[in-house]
Amino acid sequence: MVTPESIEHSIEQGMNTVYLSVDGDGRHFEAVVVSGEFAGKSRVQRHQRVYQTLGERMREEVHALSIKTYTPQEWESRRKS
Amino acid sequence: MDVQEIIRQQVTGYPVVLYMKGSPKFPQCGFSANAARILNALGVTEYFSVDVLQKPEIRQGIKDYANWPTIPQLYIHGEFIGGSDIMTEMYQSGELQKLLKA
Repeated sequence: MVTPESIEHSIEQGMNTVYLSVDGDGRHFEAVVVSGEFAGKSRVQRHQRVYQTLGERMREEVHALSIKTYTPQEWESRRKS
Repeated sequence: MDVQEIIRQQVTGYPVVLYMKGSPKFPQCGFSANAARILNALGVTEYFSVDVLQKPEIRQGIKDYANWPTIPQLYIHGEFIGGSDIMTEMYQSGELQKLLKA
Protein backbone atom coordinates (compact mmCIF):
# COMPACT_ATOMS: atom_id res chain seq x y z
CA MET A 1 0.00 0.00 0.00
CA VAL A 2 1.13 3.52 -0.73
CA THR A 3 1.69 5.60 2.39
CA PRO A 4 1.65 9.39 2.69
CA GLU A 5 5.19 9.12 4.05
CA SER A 6 6.46 7.42 0.89
CA ILE A 7 4.91 10.14 -1.29
CA GLU A 8 6.40 12.79 0.96
CA HIS A 9 9.76 11.07 0.63
CA SER A 10 9.62 11.06 -3.18
CA ILE A 11 8.72 14.75 -3.35
CA GLU A 12 11.36 15.67 -0.77
CA GLN A 13 14.04 13.80 -2.70
CA GLY A 14 13.04 15.26 -6.02
CA MET A 15 12.81 18.97 -5.33
CA ASN A 16 13.60 21.72 -2.85
CA THR A 17 10.77 22.35 -0.45
CA VAL A 18 10.46 24.73 2.48
CA TYR A 19 7.31 23.09 3.72
CA LEU A 20 5.74 19.81 2.73
CA SER A 21 2.86 17.78 4.07
CA VAL A 22 1.09 14.76 2.66
CA ASP A 23 -2.05 13.27 4.13
CA GLY A 24 -3.95 10.30 2.85
CA ASP A 25 -5.68 7.03 3.47
CA GLY A 26 -3.79 4.82 1.05
CA ARG A 27 -6.09 5.66 -1.86
CA HIS A 28 -6.57 9.40 -1.80
CA PHE A 29 -3.80 11.79 -0.92
CA GLU A 30 -3.48 15.50 -0.40
CA ALA A 31 -0.15 17.26 -0.67
CA VAL A 32 0.75 20.80 0.28
CA VAL A 33 4.05 21.81 -1.28
CA VAL A 34 5.82 25.09 -0.59
CA SER A 35 8.87 25.70 -2.73
CA GLY A 36 10.93 28.56 -4.08
CA GLU A 37 11.07 26.64 -7.35
CA PHE A 38 7.46 27.64 -8.03
CA ALA A 39 8.22 31.34 -8.35
CA GLY A 40 7.25 32.65 -11.77
CA LYS A 41 5.76 29.31 -12.77
CA SER A 42 2.18 28.67 -13.92
CA ARG A 43 -0.09 26.36 -11.97
CA VAL A 44 0.33 23.68 -14.61
CA GLN A 45 4.13 23.94 -14.47
CA ARG A 46 4.08 23.74 -10.67
CA HIS A 47 2.00 20.58 -10.65
CA GLN A 48 4.15 19.09 -13.41
CA ARG A 49 7.20 19.71 -11.23
CA VAL A 50 5.63 17.80 -8.34
CA TYR A 51 4.45 14.99 -10.63
CA GLN A 52 7.98 14.77 -11.98
CA THR A 53 9.33 13.88 -8.52
CA LEU A 54 6.87 10.99 -8.38
CA GLY A 55 7.70 9.82 -11.89
CA GLU A 56 6.33 6.40 -12.77
CA ARG A 57 4.69 6.14 -9.36
CA MET A 58 2.02 8.54 -10.64
CA ARG A 59 1.12 6.14 -13.41
CA GLU A 60 1.26 2.96 -11.42
CA GLU A 61 0.67 3.44 -7.72
CA VAL A 62 -0.79 6.82 -6.98
CA HIS A 63 -4.23 7.26 -8.46
CA ALA A 64 -5.64 10.14 -6.52
CA LEU A 65 -3.34 12.91 -5.43
CA SER A 66 -4.58 16.40 -4.81
CA ILE A 67 -1.86 19.05 -4.81
CA LYS A 68 -1.69 22.59 -3.50
CA THR A 69 1.38 24.59 -4.44
CA TYR A 70 2.73 27.80 -2.94
CA THR A 71 5.88 29.85 -3.16
CA PRO A 72 7.34 30.76 0.26
CA GLN A 73 5.92 34.28 -0.19
CA GLU A 74 2.44 33.01 -1.05
CA TRP A 75 2.60 30.67 1.90
CA GLU A 76 3.58 33.52 4.27
CA SER A 77 0.78 35.81 3.12
CA ARG A 78 -1.68 32.94 3.34
CA ARG A 79 -0.72 32.29 6.95
CA LYS A 80 -1.16 35.94 7.82
CA SER A 81 -4.57 36.28 6.21
CA MET B 1 -4.38 8.56 -37.49
CA ASP B 2 -2.42 8.24 -34.29
CA VAL B 3 -3.77 9.01 -30.85
CA GLN B 4 -1.87 12.26 -30.42
CA GLU B 5 -3.35 13.56 -33.66
CA ILE B 6 -6.87 12.51 -32.61
CA ILE B 7 -6.43 14.37 -29.33
CA ARG B 8 -5.06 17.44 -31.09
CA GLN B 9 -8.10 17.52 -33.35
CA GLN B 10 -10.46 17.13 -30.41
CA VAL B 11 -8.97 19.90 -28.30
CA THR B 12 -8.75 22.31 -31.20
CA GLY B 13 -12.08 21.30 -32.71
CA TYR B 14 -14.20 22.28 -29.72
CA PRO B 15 -13.99 25.39 -27.51
CA VAL B 16 -14.17 23.39 -24.28
CA VAL B 17 -13.06 19.78 -23.93
CA LEU B 18 -13.03 17.69 -20.75
CA TYR B 19 -11.30 14.33 -20.55
CA MET B 20 -12.82 12.50 -17.65
CA LYS B 21 -13.69 9.16 -16.10
CA GLY B 22 -17.36 8.55 -16.81
CA SER B 23 -19.73 11.10 -18.28
CA PRO B 24 -20.74 14.55 -16.98
CA LYS B 25 -24.01 13.03 -15.78
CA PHE B 26 -22.43 9.90 -14.39
CA PRO B 27 -18.85 10.63 -13.40
CA GLN B 28 -16.90 7.60 -12.21
CA CYS B 29 -14.38 9.35 -9.98
CA GLY B 30 -14.48 12.16 -7.44
CA PHE B 31 -12.05 14.38 -9.32
CA SER B 32 -13.94 14.02 -12.59
CA ALA B 33 -17.18 14.73 -10.74
CA ASN B 34 -15.64 17.92 -9.35
CA ALA B 35 -14.51 19.04 -12.80
CA ALA B 36 -17.97 18.48 -14.30
CA ARG B 37 -19.59 20.22 -11.33
CA ILE B 38 -17.45 23.33 -11.84
CA LEU B 39 -18.31 23.57 -15.55
CA ASN B 40 -21.95 23.12 -14.68
CA ALA B 41 -21.77 25.83 -12.02
CA LEU B 42 -20.28 28.17 -14.61
CA GLY B 43 -23.16 27.51 -16.96
CA VAL B 44 -21.03 25.57 -19.44
CA THR B 45 -23.47 22.98 -20.65
CA GLU B 46 -22.25 22.42 -24.19
CA TYR B 47 -18.82 20.96 -24.03
CA PHE B 48 -17.10 18.00 -25.57
CA SER B 49 -16.40 15.32 -23.01
CA VAL B 50 -14.41 12.16 -23.52
CA ASP B 51 -14.90 9.20 -21.19
CA VAL B 52 -11.40 7.75 -21.00
CA LEU B 53 -12.71 4.59 -19.35
CA GLN B 54 -14.34 3.79 -22.71
CA LYS B 55 -11.21 4.75 -24.66
CA PRO B 56 -8.10 3.11 -23.26
CA GLU B 57 -5.87 4.52 -26.02
CA ILE B 58 -7.01 8.07 -25.23
CA ARG B 59 -6.59 7.43 -21.52
CA GLN B 60 -2.92 6.72 -22.08
CA GLY B 61 -2.43 9.20 -24.90
CA ILE B 62 -3.85 12.19 -23.07
CA LYS B 63 -1.30 11.77 -20.28
CA ASP B 64 1.49 12.11 -22.81
CA TYR B 65 -0.22 14.89 -24.74
CA ALA B 66 -0.12 17.36 -21.87
CA ASN B 67 2.70 15.73 -19.91
CA TRP B 68 0.12 15.34 -17.16
CA PRO B 69 -0.32 11.96 -15.47
CA THR B 70 -3.86 12.35 -14.17
CA ILE B 71 -7.46 12.68 -15.30
CA PRO B 72 -9.59 14.85 -15.55
CA GLN B 73 -7.97 17.30 -17.94
CA LEU B 74 -9.61 20.49 -19.14
CA TYR B 75 -8.82 22.20 -22.45
CA ILE B 76 -10.12 25.59 -23.52
CA HIS B 77 -9.52 26.68 -27.11
CA GLY B 78 -6.92 23.97 -27.51
CA GLU B 79 -4.93 24.97 -24.45
CA PHE B 80 -4.43 22.65 -21.52
CA ILE B 81 -5.79 24.41 -18.43
CA GLY B 82 -5.29 21.82 -15.71
CA GLY B 83 -6.86 19.09 -13.67
CA SER B 84 -9.37 19.11 -10.84
CA ASP B 85 -7.23 21.02 -8.30
CA ILE B 86 -6.31 23.77 -10.76
CA MET B 87 -9.89 24.05 -11.97
CA THR B 88 -11.01 24.51 -8.37
CA GLU B 89 -8.42 27.22 -7.70
CA MET B 90 -9.25 29.05 -10.92
CA TYR B 91 -12.95 28.76 -10.29
CA GLN B 92 -12.57 30.24 -6.82
CA SER B 93 -10.39 33.08 -8.07
CA GLY B 94 -12.68 33.89 -11.00
CA GLU B 95 -9.99 33.13 -13.62
CA LEU B 96 -11.87 30.23 -15.13
CA GLN B 97 -14.95 32.36 -15.72
CA LYS B 98 -12.80 34.89 -17.61
CA LEU B 99 -11.16 32.22 -19.75
CA LEU B 100 -14.50 30.75 -20.71
CA LYS B 101 -15.91 34.10 -21.73
CA ALA B 102 -12.94 34.91 -23.95
